[in-house]
Amino acid sequence: MESNSNKESSIKDILSPSPKFWGIRTEQWIKVFFFGNAWMSILILFLIAVFLFREGASFFSLRNGSHQLYRRAGLEFVEEFKLTQEHFTSIYRYLNEVRTNQINILREKGMSFQEAQEKCVEIEDYAYSFYDLSVRLGELTSELSDFVTTFRDQFLSNENLRDYQQTLVEAGKVEEAEAVQIDPVDFELIRTLLIEQREVYNETTTALVEDISSFRKTFPELPSGETQTIHSRFIQETDAFIASIPEHAKRLQEWDPDKPIGWSSSFTSFLFGRNWVTNSFWQDWYGFLPLLTGSLLVSAIALTIAIPVGVFAAIYVNQVAPSREQKIVKPCIEFISAVPSVVLGFFGIAVLSELLKTISGWPGLDWLPFFPITERLNAFTAGCLLALMAIPTIFTLAEDALDMVPRAHIEASYSMGATRLQTIIHIVLPSALSGIISAILLGFGRVIGETMVVLLCAGNRIIIPDISEGLGVMVEPVHTMTGIIAQEMGEVERGSIHYRALFVLGMFLFVISLTINGIAQRIVKRVKTTNL
Amino acid sequence: MTDPNPNRPIPETAVEVSSIDFYYGKTKALDDITLDIPKNQITSLIGPSGCGKTTFIRCLNRMNDLIEGAQLTRGTIRISGVDIYDKRVDVIELRKKVGMVFQKSNPFPMSIYENIAYGLRMQSIRKKTIIDEAVERSLRNAALWNEVKDRLHSNALGLSGGQQQRLCIARALAIEPTIMLMDEPCSALDPIATARVEELLFNLKENYTIVIVTHSMQQAARLSDHTAFFYLGKLEEFGDTSKLFMNPGNPQTEAYISGRFG
Ligand SMILES: Nc1ncnc2c1ncn2[C@@H]1O[C@H](COP(=O)(O)OP(=O)(O)OP(=O)(O)O)[C@@H](O)[C@H]1O
Ligand SMILES: [Mg+2]
Repeated sequence: MESNSNKESSIKDILSPSPKFWGIRTEQWIKVFFFGNAWMSILILFLIAVFLFREGASFFSLRNGSHQLYRRAGLEFVEEFKLTQEHFTSIYRYLNEVRTNQINILREKGMSFQEAQEKCVEIEDYAYSFYDLSVRLGELTSELSDFVTTFRDQFLSNENLRDYQQTLVEAGKVEEAEAVQIDPVDFELIRTLLIEQREVYNETTTALVEDISSFRKTFPELPSGETQTIHSRFIQETDAFIASIPEHAKRLQEWDPDKPIGWSSSFTSFLFGRNWVTNSFWQDWYGFLPLLTGSLLVSAIALTIAIPVGVFAAIYVNQVAPSREQKIVKPCIEFISAVPSVVLGFFGIAVLSELLKTISGWPGLDWLPFFPITERLNAFTAGCLLALMAIPTIFTLAEDALDMVPRAHIEASYSMGATRLQTIIHIVLPSALSGIISAILLGFGRVIGETMVVLLCAGNRIIIPDISEGLGVMVEPVHTMTGIIAQEMGEVERGSIHYRALFVLGMFLFVISLTINGIAQRIVKRVKTTNL
Repeated sequence: MTDPNPNRPIPETAVEVSSIDFYYGKTKALDDITLDIPKNQITSLIGPSGCGKTTFIRCLNRMNDLIEGAQLTRGTIRISGVDIYDKRVDVIELRKKVGMVFQKSNPFPMSIYENIAYGLRMQSIRKKTIIDEAVERSLRNAALWNEVKDRLHSNALGLSGGQQQRLCIARALAIEPTIMLMDEPCSALDPIATARVEELLFNLKENYTIVIVTHSMQQAARLSDHTAFFYLGKLEEFGDTSKLFMNPGNPQTEAYISGRFG
């Protein structure tokens, strides 16, 4: 009897509906809760993507407008003058360098600074009089620069005034709006004036070339006695200068202020642009290349360190270390990732960079290609610290991958008389390889997205690393995509080209990280299916 | 079935196990086992699940070294007179002499050919002719050659469960051990394949000492010369198969082989 009544009540339980809230059953609430959480994160990811693209997209049209203005207002034209002038100045700087070197050589020979300087008076004078040859060109260049930038600035302020007028009209203050004086820029005037300058350029440079040719025949005797080689180098440099003039002249000839800027150029100039120049009185350029190469260089350095360390540590901990040691090492390595990156950056500035610089100055080490280091903060310092951040990622994921290698295979290998090393190389690693590769990729994703450390320690010089330096490239200061966003975002005017350029950078970063993660996940997925 | 001739010469001993205790951490898995495994004969180990059969055979090639906290606390195991737990023993060499087939088949995720070549390659044997020859011989011995000779280079995981088990046997044979430890080699096989493996073991007997763990009483009776009955980590009875099955000296043994428990 007893058991019978029990049965009945349990059946009743099944039939009786579970409690409801606002007409929805509890399980459904729970389902909605989990569903909501899952979709919320996807939605947020989507919104981030949309936001980035929306803010970034108009960069390209804005940049096109700015480039168009650069052409119409004649900055593009005057750029040729400037380039000529700069090229000339670089030769002058070379002469100055020669002088400094001479003085140093003499001082090494035991002369006092005073004496050495006196010995070098001739080359000093020579350098100065060389510089004087370009006075005419210099004056012309700065005059023209002033001229075109004035027009450009006027055009920009007119734009602002027009906006202001518009707001007034919208606010209903029509009278005030009409009172705003707008003096339109006379682009025709610029054109006619500049076109006349073509002839002036030709005349000036012809005269300059003649001057140089006669000038370089005389070259002072150098106290160090290397006169011959230095003179011929000087002649080479000037030859290069002379050879470059027709090119500039040709571009001046071809300059057409009304020629439209192609659409593709705004993409290519972003992707392949070698300059990132902002807040310049002349013209801003937003070239992606120095930042991309900087990021890649720092990441490459970081990964070169982190991959072997992370992977070997994982192999050691997973395959060799007794479990007591495992229990100590694993949490320690994983703990590194808990160190705030700003603290690491601080450590980098205060300790690591100093240490590297000091070590690089040791006399026994100067055979190393990039020692001694000249810049305290450089790609290598940042790379070392980023390696520290990537190691836990690579270690943990690689260790997981190694853990997934079936024990049965490992035992089979040992049972056939394979050594530990053989087992690791022939059984464990091939089995875990895809997992390890995806660990490395995720480490790469970690490194390329890291901001604080690179901002603090990479040296922040916006320049494409010079690969011709060989390994020395590692100790050059660089700037990175993440670093520049963090550095400049706070100061830019909302909605300006610069602001949008930073968003485009963010977009690229987002796409790069997404791609890396995507590839890594695919690899992991493949492993899981093959291991089943 | 073996001939129960009492006048048979006493066989040479391949493995001498004397009073070993074995622990996994703090739990005792083997308790005072003493037994002599005769050379060039088949010895089968029977006993209910969890009684320590696998543990016991893994002591013989020191596979238990790989398990943390597992250790032999007492007693010695001698193979050809050498104490294999001596510090000077090279475990790698030991394992080349004492081959093993595991309870669960575990071919490597490589080609059939590479699976068998593995042991040889690990001994730095590179010559293709030698390896080719060893692969064919081992596969023939494991009664697998005809089934796989046309697809030696396809993945071993594509074989059926029974084929995989025979591949594991072939793989163990390839390194030509003198002692073969087989942990339920026929558990995944159908009666035909089982018969083939048994036949194989019978033939191998000439050159190998075979220790086989089995849950099949018939198999133990059919195949082996000697049988050891394990129960709760203890060796309850050990002797000639025929004697043990006909006339068990221990009530536990009798209960087990007659299927009253286990
Ligand atoms: N790696 C291990 N760690 C701890 N205990 C273990 C381990 N392997 C086996 N044992 C224990 O040791 C005892 C003997 O196990 P063993 O695998 O030798 O049994 P078996 O006789 O082979 O059983 P089966 O017939 O089911 O294969 C069991 O109680 C088991 O739980
Ligand atoms: Mg077992």
